[in-house]
Amino acid sequence: MTVTGGGSYPVDVLLVEDSPGDVRLTQEVFRESALPINLHVVADGVEAMAYLRKEGAYANVPRPDFILLDLNLPRMDGREVLAHIKGDEGLKLIPTVILTTSAAEADVVKSYELRANAFLSKPVQLAEFQSLVMSIGDFWLRKAELPSRRGG
Amino acid sequence: MDEGPRRTSDLIEPACGLVPLVFGAVALIGWYSGRSQLASIAPGLVPVEANAALGYVLLGAALLLRTGPADRRRAALGAILAIVAGCIGLATLAEYVTNVDLGIDQLIVVDASGIASHPGRMAFQAMLSLLVMAGSIVLHGRVGRVGLLRWGLALVMFALGYYALLGWWFGAREVMTVFGLGPEVALATTASAFAVGFAGLACRHTPSPTSAVLSRTPGARTARIVVLAGIVGVPIVGWITLGGEGIGLYAARFALVTMVVASAILVAGVGLWVGWSADRFSQAERQAQERLVQVEGRYGGLLEAAPDAMVVVDGRGGIVLLNLQAERQFGYSRDELVGQPVTNIIPTGFAERIVADDLRSAKDALEQQIGTGIELVGRRSDGSEFPIEIMLSPLESAEGILVTAAIRDITERKAAEEKLLQTVDELNRSNVELGQFAYIASHDLQEPLRMVASYTQLLSQRYKGRLDPDADDFIGFAVDGATRMQRLIEDLLFYSRVGTTGAVLGPASSEAALEYALANLRSAIGESGAIVTHDPLPTVLADKAQLVQLFQNLIGNGIKFHGPETPRLHISATSTGDGRWAFAVTDNGQGIDPQYFDRIFGMFQRLHTREEFAGTGIGLAVCKKIVERHGGRIWVESGPGEGSTFRFTLTGSATTP
Repeated sequence: MTVTGGGSYPVDVLLVEDSPGDVRLTQEVFRESALPINLHVVADGVEAMAYLRKEGAYANVPRPDFILLDLNLPRMDGREVLAHIKGDEGLKLIPTVILTTSAAEADVVKSYELRANAFLSKPVQLAEFQSLVMSIGDFWLRKAELPSRRGG
Repeated sequence: MDEGPRRTSDLIEPACGLVPLVFGAVALIGWYSGRSQLASIAPGLVPVEANAALGYVLLGAALLLRTGPADRRRAALGAILAIVAGCIGLATLAEYVTNVDLGIDQLIVVDASGIASHPGRMAFQAMLSLLVMAGSIVLHGRVGRVGLLRWGLALVMFALGYYALLGWWFGAREVMTVFGLGPEVALATTASAFAVGFAGLACRHTPSPTSAVLSRTPGARTARIVVLAGIVGVPIVGWITLGGEGIGLYAARFALVTMVVASAILVAGVGLWVGWSADRFSQAERQAQERLVQVEGRYGGLLEAAPDAMVVVDGRGGIVLLNLQAERQFGYSRDELVGQPVTNIIPTGFAERIVADDLRSAKDALEQQIGTGIELVGRRSDGSEFPIEIMLSPLESAEGILVTAAIRDITERKAAEEKLLQTVDELNRSNVELGQFAYIASHDLQEPLRMVASYTQLLSQRYKGRLDPDADDFIGFAVDGATRMQRLIEDLLFYSRVGTTGAVLGPASSEAALEYALANLRSAIGESGAIVTHDPLPTVLADKAQLVQLFQNLIGNGIKFHGPETPRLHISATSTGDGRWAFAVTDNGQGIDPQYFDRIFGMFQRLHTREEFAGTGIGLAVCKKIVERHGGRIWVESGPGEGSTFRFTLTGSATTP
């Protein structure tokens, strides 16, 4: 049973990002985009897995509909997080998009091998970042058919 | 024993053998035919006994056999014949000593003349000479003490024979008894003793006091003349003197005086001649020696003056000669090395090169190595090793071809080479590090810069016109600065990637690369209305992506820096004949002042303000780096207002991509 992402209820997005500047920038851009999004933020890979497995302080958080994952993270890096998500029966269906400053071929290949749903480079120009966020919202949260969080 | 080539002097001994053979044979024929004058050779002389004559025949044959061409069987047969003759003599001796008739006296022919006390028995002297001759012939060729004994016997025979012969010649019959030892000796005996004695003295191959006279040295030649003058010249003088007196030309006293004077003149003349020739000879010898010393000195001086160690080696790899530098270099004294194998100082690689093997002669082996500098390892007397370079050259000598090896200690050169390699290594490493640094720095710099740029842009978006005009300006400068810095870092990153991430060079169509570049420049060409034309372009050895970049940067520049007219660009390539191609990208743009030709290819070098033309000034630096990475050269031909032609060379490729 699937539902379209373009429903009236807000979508929960988990942002895994350690740089406060990037977190804030992403928050600002999402806010400006006026998309119906609840943005949840964790700063490293360990926190990300705790969030997704609802461990400790995250016992009552909503399951995200979409994950934005940076590769370079303290404690547990994005590649490991990705491997854990895609290796977990309960989590592997959540669309996970890599959003990072790296554009190295090796990182791109590795990410897709670990079944990332997309690999995006953080644009240098603000305007480009804004349009990227709009694209994400438009494609993943509006156009793409996703498995329902409630049906999972 | 000197077994030199056969010479005429080798015929002396066999010829001497003919004398007893012929005399003995004639006497035997005389005995058998009953003609007594034949038995005594000349009329009025004592006949030789038949058994003695047989002995002489045997001895003559023995001498012929033992002194002819070397052959063991001939020599053995000769010895047997001589021993048989000796036995005849021994039997006669026994008869003389014991006074018993052994039947030897009339062994062959019965002497019925009855004139002698013992009919048919040979004279005592004949018996002695038979024994001595036999001994001398049997001992032929012996050296050492026995050889000396043989020589002594020959000398006695020769002297007595000579004495008796002169007695017969001068008609002094009493001399033919030889010191009155017994009855008169037959001419055959005298001549045989003389001949065999002469043969024993004239033996060239056995060292003896007289053999040296037969050598080929000037001294020996002189000595031969003196000896001949003595033993032949003096008797001739005597014979003439005596003959004159005999026919009544002058009295005996006059004859004696004449002979003494003539002999004195002969001896003095020969002496003078000997002295003169000896002087001439010693003078020539001294000159030759001086020349030799001079030559040796010059060569030796050359050897010692040579800056390198010099070692002369023979064909078997033995050291023949060396100079002071070689002594120093290897830490040996001259005496310790001469005659030693060269492998003592150069363990491997040298002897193998010059010593002949199954495949090549020593000469060929050497010829293959002449003039080549061979790097080997030398070993000092203390066992330490050091790098050397040797140069070989042949040296003709009496002992055959020698090899002169100039040996240079190349320790310092090796160290310098090593240091150079190390420096190159370090340079390469530091270049790689620099490239990595540029890449990492520019990559990591992008991160904070993105923050600066993003937030200043966010500020600008949200607060433009909501603060005062100064704030708007300041934010504008910050945004502009951040943007430019981003572009610089991007370009720096790109530039560093040309060297570090380029693909391997392969055949690439430069025409296809040009088409790619034109496609990338489509919007710039469209906006400017530029007309870009090109000739057919060759296949070159290149990194295709970088070739596209090269064309793109050059054509992009040509369009960007256009003149008042419509931009027109033409790309062509001409072969330079050495397998390379010279490309030309010609435009009708503003042109460049020649004083800037070098500067424009530098990093971030600009000739215009940012307000006139955007860009960081990295384009031509990238072009230069690309061309140089391809082993080519890039330059520009231009002048202000004339348009520009950028030229670069690339290596052609025979195969098509």
